[in-house]
Amino acid sequence: MKQHARIRLAVIYIGAAIVLLGTIGPFLWLVSSSFQYERQLLNRPPQWLPNPVVLDSYREIFEGAVLGEDSGVPYQSRIFLRSFGNSFIVAGSVAAIAVLVGSYAAYPLARLDFRGRNVLLFGILASRLIPALSLAIPIVLVAKKIGMSDRLVSLVFINLSFILPYVIWLLQSYFKSIPMELEDAGRIDGCSRLQVVHKIILPLSLPGLTSAGILAFLLTWGEFLFALLLSETPASYTSTVVVSLFATDVDVNFVSIITAGVVSVIPPICFALIFQRFIISGLLSGSLKG
Amino acid sequence: MKAETNNERKEMSQGMLAVLFSAPAVLIIAATILVPFGLAVFLSLHKWNLKRPGRERFIGLENYVDWLTDSDFWEPLQTTFTFAIGAVLLIVAVSLLVALLLNENFPGRGLVRALLLVPWAIPSVVNALLWKWLLNPQYGLINALWFELGIITEYQNMLGSMPSVMIWLVIAYSWIHIPLATLLLLSGLQTIPGDIYESAIVDGAGLWQRFRFITLPMLRPMLSIVIIFEMIFALKVFDIIFVLTAGGPANATNVLGWQIYTETFRKLDFGAGSSIAMLLGAITLGLAILFYVFLDKGTEPQ
Amino acid sequence: MFSSKKLIVLLVLFALLLGSTALAQDDGLKLTGWPYQVDVVTENLGRFTEQSGQDAVFLPFPSNEYHDKMVASFVAGTEFDVAYVRDSYLAEWASAGWIVPITGLDGADELLADLPAGIIEQMSYEGEVYGLPYYSGVQTMAYNAAHLAAAGIEEPPATWDEMLDQAQMIKDAGVVDYPILMQLRSGENYLLREWETLTASRGGKLFDDDLNPLFQEEGSAAWEALDWLTEGLNQGVIDPASLTDDDGTLLMAAGTTSFMTTTDYTLKAMNDPEQSNVAGDIKNALVPGTDEVRSGTWGYVRLYSITSNTPDKDAAWQLVQFLGGRDATGVYYVPKRWALEFGLGFSPAPLYEDEEVRNSIGGWIDPDLLSEQAEYAISRPYRFVPFFSDWEIGSWGPLQAAILGDADKGDVLAELADEWNELREDWDY
Repeated sequence: MKQHARIRLAVIYIGAAIVLLGTIGPFLWLVSSSFQYERQLLNRPPQWLPNPVVLDSYREIFEGAVLGEDSGVPYQSRIFLRSFGNSFIVAGSVAAIAVLVGSYAAYPLARLDFRGRNVLLFGILASRLIPALSLAIPIVLVAKKIGMSDRLVSLVFINLSFILPYVIWLLQSYFKSIPMELEDAGRIDGCSRLQVVHKIILPLSLPGLTSAGILAFLLTWGEFLFALLLSETPASYTSTVVVSLFATDVDVNFVSIITAGVVSVIPPICFALIFQRFIISGLLSGSLKG
Repeated sequence: MKAETNNERKEMSQGMLAVLFSAPAVLIIAATILVPFGLAVFLSLHKWNLKRPGRERFIGLENYVDWLTDSDFWEPLQTTFTFAIGAVLLIVAVSLLVALLLNENFPGRGLVRALLLVPWAIPSVVNALLWKWLLNPQYGLINALWFELGIITEYQNMLGSMPSVMIWLVIAYSWIHIPLATLLLLSGLQTIPGDIYESAIVDGAGLWQRFRFITLPMLRPMLSIVIIFEMIFALKVFDIIFVLTAGGPANATNVLGWQIYTETFRKLDFGAGSSIAMLLGAITLGLAILFYVFLDKGTEPQ
Repeated sequence: MFSSKKLIVLLVLFALLLGSTALAQDDGLKLTGWPYQVDVVTENLGRFTEQSGQDAVFLPFPSNEYHDKMVASFVAGTEFDVAYVRDSYLAEWASAGWIVPITGLDGADELLADLPAGIIEQMSYEGEVYGLPYYSGVQTMAYNAAHLAAAGIEEPPATWDEMLDQAQMIKDAGVVDYPILMQLRSGENYLLREWETLTASRGGKLFDDDLNPLFQEEGSAAWEALDWLTEGLNQGVIDPASLTDDDGTLLMAAGTTSFMTTTDYTLKAMNDPEQSNVAGDIKNALVPGTDEVRSGTWGYVRLYSITSNTPDKDAAWQLVQFLGGRDATGVYYVPKRWALEFGLGFSPAPLYEDEEVRNSIGGWIDPDLLSEQAEYAISRPYRFVPFFSDWEIGSWGPLQAAILGDADKGDVLAELADEWNELREDWDY
């Protein structure tokens, strides 16, 4: 049995290694490139590891964020880390609101029997069926007319409206998998629908809620189109907008873009790391036994 | 199915409850999207070119008729389908395997799960750069790696011709989307009670049988969600095309998303751009309903 | 178990934070553009404020998405007073009524008198001038002198056929696999422009000055240009990546390409030791021609325009004059600074004579060759009609197919001519 367990673990680690190689292999090249001189990116064969290790682009980003205009580093590098604040506010709000509002909307779709259920299910999806590009200009137009452009709260609403359909679909599917008997038991004990949701459905759906939250956070963190189209001043730039600012028409500062990209990955991955411990199995089986 | 409990009668009807529960979400979506969506529909019924101010006029369904009788719609539609089928198959297959693997309990699992999301967290402009560098025929990394490993004897031009260009677009696109699908499938796997497996093992079920008769059926609701989501995403594909091929070579990767972009932002023909977007939306909706009925109906609560 | 509740509550607090993000409003002039040297622009604006007493701020947007961002901004009613404009969008933005002409404004005539006719034409739509130049230049040829030397070639090619021969020698010598890169990708910065260079240097044009298409005539320079591309691709000396590559500058800087036609300022990056593996090897030469025609090219302009939405047109015009023309002390302060410190091409005649400017750009490009190249620039009035972009977008796929030999050249060109004529009729031109 011990032998068997060891083989199992070996197989798993080999599999995990392959998966990691595929997913973060290319990212590691980005990391490596961020420590190189720009011309080295064009070497043939490629410069796989930085030699020498060049820290300039990182220094610029951090010095620029701390010292501001006194640092003497280019504008883009100066405002980059500061834009993280905006990204964090928007992505955090969207994740929280989407999970909160989305789970209430998902419950009736999963559990209640009412006319128009499918209309609702597909109705909320409707806006997601056509490319955001064709809604972009109407949205910008409306936002401008009602004085809501260049505001983070507009970005929150737009991202919410794009992400809620996914969150609702995801959660209604998750809720369906919770055994009906558990809910019936609660109902017999005198719980109202709201109490059923709070005391039975939500706690048992922690893995689903977490996935939905991570999904919302990451999609919003990476959102670029509306972050660009709705911003008018640097005060409302999110980090994706600033990363794109390194391409200037006359030249492109590739190492700085790559460095900014590498740094941009850190907050969402930390977010995922923190919350992912809630994606755990056994919630349902445990409750069934008990 | 329904538990006829005492408090059921005291409460409002299920329809009323549904309205109340979904109101906040529906209001947020409606408040943001309704007017712009209506505007897009309005534009699609007009001849509306920004470069000809003052000459906008209502033309009913003419834009739609024009598209439906034009190879500029049908050819990109075919390309879009080719792309979407390839991408959805690849994404679902890979992410299912990865999710099953990461559902196993092993030390370091949390870290692997978080790192898995990295491709998705890279800002799109940097992703574009990354794939440009990976696929470049001169200083490209995949070429260099394959060359050094002896897989190829001379550098390849991956984006130069069909079918290679389509295959690489699908790969690049899937690489970004697999983390999302894996995350969803992983949370779906949590809904399968562990004791079912235990009793199956006692009954002598092998790995494949457990997958075939327990995992797959119980994962079906989430799997169908993933397939529907990924299909919706893939049919709208634009970013990766914009970056890597701009619809070329010779229109080989001209998908509807690209067509919509050029009509709207390059020709400033909002009428044509909106109507083709509506057509794509209708097709996507049709497919989503079809998939839903086909995949998800069996999983309705009994 | 449900400790995430607290975290969610915390996150909701972020939402409240949102309400408090009141954004700074200032009343000065707003300039937008792509983010090239933002701090220098801001410094220049500081000088403007000093001289004029008007506040002005530069709010840049990403270069690659600048066009689309501005379209959205214009449709919604832009808050910007002055915007950078690429000549390739000029007809579009002018016909949509998003930017206003400067013709007839106070002092415009004097400033325009300093500019070459070709540049003014590139800033005009339906007879009116829409701004003053930010930077400008011509398409030229860049080649890697070390590659030529390694293959025993002494002089860069004077004709396109010679280029194919030299490329074959470079390839045979094992220097690089594909010596020639042509920018044939879909996109307004690539295929059509390359075709125009190839056509102009064969003594032809795509359209005559009355907007009649010429390319579909058998034996036309434009037709021969496509034949040459097909030949080079089949011969294996033109890089097949030409059809998708979006940045030939990088291939030159990597040292894997020997020849390309390019915008003049890109030679600076190709010869910058920080950005290039072959710094110092890249030289400019006249775009090759034929036995009868020495060379041919076209010019480009980036300009400053006043938006139609500005509440204070006089102030905006003052800013445009400062940026693209003379400052309050009567000198071409901003254009000279761009030329001197950053090597950006300039148009005002007085700067051509400026010794300082000449010396400064000599480090990375041959200024005499460049000004000789400029003499071969053709005018392209057909680009300054509003339907040009409609036609251009539809031309990319068929042209690529024709170049690759997937479609019959004659059929493709005839069809493109028909499409042009239909558009012309539709737009009453």
